Amino acid sequence: MTLERLEEARRAFLSDLEQAGGDAGAVEEVRIRYAGRRSGMLQELTAVLKTLPNEEKRDYGRELNDLKKLIEEKLKEASGGASAGTAGRRRAAIDVTLPGRRPRRGAQHPVHLVRRRIEAIFLSMGYSVEDGPEIEDDWHNFEALNIPPDHPARDDQDTFYFTDGHVLRTHTSPVQARVMERQQPPIRIIVPGRVYRRDSDLRHSPMFHQIEGLLVDEGITFGHLKATLETFLHQLFVGVDIRFRPSYFPFTEPSAEVDISCIFCNGSGCGVCSRSGWIEILGSGMVDPRVFERVGVDPERYTGFAFGLGIDRVAMLLYGIPDLRLMFSGDQRLTRQFA
Amino acid sequence: MRFDLSWLDEQLVDAPPADVVAERLTACGFNVELREPDAATEVWDVEVTTNRPDAMNHRGLAREAAVATGTLLKPIENGPSEEGEQAANLVSVEIEVPELCSRYVARVVRNARLVESPAWLAERLERCGVRPLNAIVDATNYVLLELGQPLHAFDLARVAGRRIVVRRAREGETLTTLDGERRDLDPSLLVIADAERPVALAGIMGGADSEIGDETVDVLLESAHFDALTVRRGARKLGMHTEASHRFERGADPEMATTAVDVAAAMIARLAGGTVCRGRVDIYPKPWRPRTLEVSMPRLSAFTGLEIDPAEAHRILDGLGFEPSLDADRVRCTVPSFRVDVERAEDLYEEVIRHVGYDAVPSQLPVLATDPGRRCGSWPLVDRARDAAVSVGLTEVVTYAFSSAEEDEAAARLPLIAGGSLPLANPLTQTQTAMRRSLLPGLLTAARANLNQGETSLALFEEGRVFGADGQAPVEKEHLAIVLAGSFGNWQDRATTSFTDLKGLVDGLIERLAFPAVSWVRDRDSWLEDAEGAVLTAAGGEVVGVAGLVSRTAAKWWDLRQPVYVAELDLSAAMDRSERPRFTELPRFPAITADMTVEHRAELAYGELLRTATELASPLVVSWELVARYSGEGLDPDMVRTTLRAVYRHPERSLLQEEVNAEQEALRSRLAAALDVRFA
Repeated sequence: MTLERLEEARRAFLSDLEQAGGDAGAVEEVRIRYAGRRSGMLQELTAVLKTLPNEEKRDYGRELNDLKKLIEEKLKEASGGASAGTAGRRRAAIDVTLPGRRPRRGAQHPVHLVRRRIEAIFLSMGYSVEDGPEIEDDWHNFEALNIPPDHPARDDQDTFYFTDGHVLRTHTSPVQARVMERQQPPIRIIVPGRVYRRDSDLRHSPMFHQIEGLLVDEGITFGHLKATLETFLHQLFVGVDIRFRPSYFPFTEPSAEVDISCIFCNGSGCGVCSRSGWIEILGSGMVDPRVFERVGVDPERYTGFAFGLGIDRVAMLLYGIPDLRLMFSGDQRLTRQFA
Repeated sequence: MRFDLSWLDEQLVDAPPADVVAERLTACGFNVELREPDAATEVWDVEVTTNRPDAMNHRGLAREAAVATGTLLKPIENGPSEEGEQAANLVSVEIEVPELCSRYVARVVRNARLVESPAWLAERLERCGVRPLNAIVDATNYVLLELGQPLHAFDLARVAGRRIVVRRAREGETLTTLDGERRDLDPSLLVIADAERPVALAGIMGGADSEIGDETVDVLLESAHFDALTVRRGARKLGMHTEASHRFERGADPEMATTAVDVAAAMIARLAGGTVCRGRVDIYPKPWRPRTLEVSMPRLSAFTGLEIDPAEAHRILDGLGFEPSLDADRVRCTVPSFRVDVERAEDLYEEVIRHVGYDAVPSQLPVLATDPGRRCGSWPLVDRARDAAVSVGLTEVVTYAFSSAEEDEAAARLPLIAGGSLPLANPLTQTQTAMRRSLLPGLLTAARANLNQGETSLALFEEGRVFGADGQAPVEKEHLAIVLAGSFGNWQDRATTSFTDLKGLVDGLIERLAFPAVSWVRDRDSWLEDAEGAVLTAAGGEVVGVAGLVSRTAAKWWDLRQPVYVAELDLSAAMDRSERPRFTELPRFPAITADMTVEHRAELAYGELLRTATELASPLVVSWELVARYSGEGLDPDMVRTTLRAVYRHPERSLLQEEVNAEQEALRSRLAAALDVRFA
């Protein structure tokens, strides 16, 4: 059985040598593979000899010698008479400008690159990263967040429904409600995840990604909200100005939209920022006491803030990706740019 | 919403420069976008949030601008000069459902002519996105845009019995609305009816039969207040959305009804001639009652983290119409009728803070308990999977979590899906009608797109949730899927993707993800190629993965023109890696390897051979390696030679060659007894 290995080696050698053709570099490679002093196959096959039972040693030794001779001869022929496998031999020069053999490199999608960057910032501030279902019930997606049935705010979030009344969550905010229902303050979490809205154009996609944040404790103020979001945004977008504008969300009061100075024109006005010099980046506000009441947190004792931002949008801004739909096209040429 | 700057300015005593107004309005919550940079006809696009119907008109937004810029709002000029008959003698009004219509005000303008509006008025309407029609209708729209009160003008002659009844529609009634649509009504809808039939959809749209037209002489003006929810549900039911319904849905001001109808009547008389009849018909079964609220200055300061001057709070609340009175550290307010959004003291805090300005609030990081953040739920697992996939050279894609009906049906034939079909009740497109049950359909669509782009090698993965129905509850599972196609390698050794590549990748991932022991079993009835398809099963037989070559039939569905390999794994099979790894003592004695070439029938799976060899081998064998596999010349066509290398090692001493030889010999005879094999 061990003899068979010699036969296999012989066949492999001849085929490799033939493949190498007359190319000096390739012949040299074959030499190293079979007759190399450190780990050539002949070395290995010779080592086997010692392990054989005595009765097999003779046959094997003879065959091995034949193979050695054959390899030496053939290599000598191939490299035009130069001595093969001996010390002091001049190596054929390799064209070092030829491309090498690279291991295949993977790449992560920009949405997840940005998500993990954002997570890292908030983890460093002591926030935990939470998770929740994408198929939600009406209570967590709407009612617990102070959006009763027939509330006009439901129009702003065109919703996908299932026949049994479940919805595809329209934001990551239901996880706020879920966490507050099961855990008393202090609460300090962010919730990244996919969300869905029934809308599709250049700037809207029926599926996108958000990160939600929630901090609830005693004595939390609007000033805390401002400082936290400023700290975060300054780490994500270095060197931008930040402004807070009053806005409205059913689950926060007061509410604020947060803008950063346009990172493309430095605030002087361009197409990206609709000539305003500002880019809307996240929504935020102090948790509405009605939300606290609904999820069983004492609004007399605790205050808190919440915020949410679109991960895809941040990725588009950070990397200059022009079309949201490109993110979900499955085109590997997009992701490969972030390898 | 669109606003005309000159119209806004008209409402203010001393209008500040446009850029100042724009900036201050933005700072207090009304984001202003300039539509046309030309100052003379400046039109602004202003974001008015859904909770502020009171600011969805020029007067209301000007009120905010006045407070924000420190100027004052001009009083409304109204009061038409009345003459002739009493309106009450010309029309009667009855409200059958006071809970749905708290007020109905009517005025009559006689002998009006149907003329076009003057240019200034028509232009203002157009700038705000409303099409001018004639002076009478335009006047009602103008008042809507100025004061926020939706009005409707009826041709009085076409209101049967000169009688207005606000009631629920009756089963079987129909109404052709102004847009020419014939609409079937039912009792959930509120209508304005005359003595005989419905003439308007309350708060949504008027009827075509009573429309102002060439023959109109006398005009009946309606200025009413309808229940927000009823209008909203009605509009949704009929698939309608109008300027009127937009405002009623969000909450109109019942107290504005009289002023608005007065202004409109005066305007019609001025523009279209005619005379305004004496008096109004005003049915107000549920008059608005003011509510009072108190702002505590210390609480306000604590909430914001900013010391706010009570005098400033007073100025702001006064300008916004809250009639504040200052009493020590408390401010007593009366909520005006137009502020439907203000219900509690917190709402008033917001009013003060937004006008003091968010900029004024000092930023201060909270001091918090120091417990560190953790990643919870599925996050550690899914990112471990992502990292593993990237480390084996795969490129991530993110595709939609939906399936078409065909894809959903195809997924059903895979051995690894989350559950029953989960269709959307209101899909957006035909290609996205259900939640995906497998990642593969989406990934294959992505593969096709990439190959069609001319990409020559694909090694993609997607990590994401798949969904399924399981009895009552929807199920969500984290899956990871792979697609491989094309050729890889460099100029020296380019090779076409094969099952071996796929298997190596999948096994690598499984190892990185710490799946429990997984068996690869031939899969014969999904849409993988019979000859190159496998399901991965865990010890209990449950399917945790699927891998193989996409069958020719399936490749046709996805229009794939070259071999494509896929795999999908259920990540819930992966084990928790939070336990810390344990060090194992490094071996102190050398190993001895021994090869063994087994000749066997091709049907004997390698896995079976290896498993049997492992079972029968000495406990001193620490690992196995496949050295060679041979079929062809010198062998029967259905025979294979497999060379296995065993690595022997004793934990406490060096092994002797003779011991290993004996063990190998014993193994050979045990294998020959257990399986149909020979040794070369």
